[in-house]
Amino acid sequence: MELDNLVAYIARALVEHPDQVEVNADERGGAITLELYVAQGDMGRVIGKGGRIANAMRTLVRVAAMREGKRVSLDVVTRVPGA
Amino acid sequence: MSQNEFSGKTVDEAIGKGLAELGVARDAVKIEIVREPSRGLLGLGGEDALVRLTRVQVVAESAGDVANVAQEILETVLSGMGLPARVEILPDVSSEDEDSFVLNILGEDLSVLIGRRGETLRDLEYLARLMVTGKTGKSIRFIVDVEGYRTRRERQLRDLATRMAARVEEHRQPVTLEAMPPNERRIVHIALREHPRVKTQSIGEGDHRRVMILPQ
Repeated sequence: MELDNLVAYIARALVEHPDQVEVNADERGGAITLELYVAQGDMGRVIGKGGRIANAMRTLVRVAAMREGKRVSLDVVTRVPGA
Repeated sequence: MSQNEFSGKTVDEAIGKGLAELGVARDAVKIEIVREPSRGLLGLGGEDALVRLTRVQVVAESAGDVANVAQEILETVLSGMGLPARVEILPDVSSEDEDSFVLNILGEDLSVLIGRRGETLRDLEYLARLMVTGKTGKSIRFIVDVEGYRTRRERQLRDLATRMAARVEEHRQPVTLEAMPPNERRIVHIALREHPRVKTQSIGEGDHRRVMILPQ
């Protein structure tokens, strides 16, 4: 499983609209950028109070990326309704 | 008509068709009645009933089911992290709640899962609990451990608490322990809760918060 799949798997278990979960991954020079898209109403479910949930996800992807000597960042993005 | 809409002469018939086609039980779907059947005028223009079935997560019935769901979730997350490890379900002997359980991760080279002061393990546990609640609709407490690390650490902390309490009692002087994360401070507080001659309190902020043991 790639890191985008890992993030999608985790997010889908947390949200009300799993079908709206999407993760984009971009890798450049050993740095992976992940963008997690969720429905607007699900933002809080993947960010958490004070960003705790998003930070926990960041911890896990960082550990996974480090094993391959890579860096990783994770941003949570809301889906624009109708887009 | 989208794939999960089914029609029939009656609402029940439509639901029955849908369940058969999806191959699921009635409690595994959310049922919406899109249209009640109508007879139409003079036998013309009558419409069948139309229902929409949406698969829902099957809600776990018992603590044992929750443990199995939790085990599967954790194994999937670990393999997604590139750490194929085995997860065993153990009874939680430290809890009075009989539904509580421990997921113990077994494998080689798993210290990365523990992290500095157990922070990675705590994040993993936090997410696993949220995911299990999200998937089962039950919030049963469970602990995620790596090769028994938590159990060992808990024993160490209880021993430390008892030794330090004896020192406080003897010298009538407070002792401050090293900074610890919340779950570890909690173990110390609980270990000395019933102690007749010392009390405990937490001092400091954030990463520097420590337990202080003082004479009562």
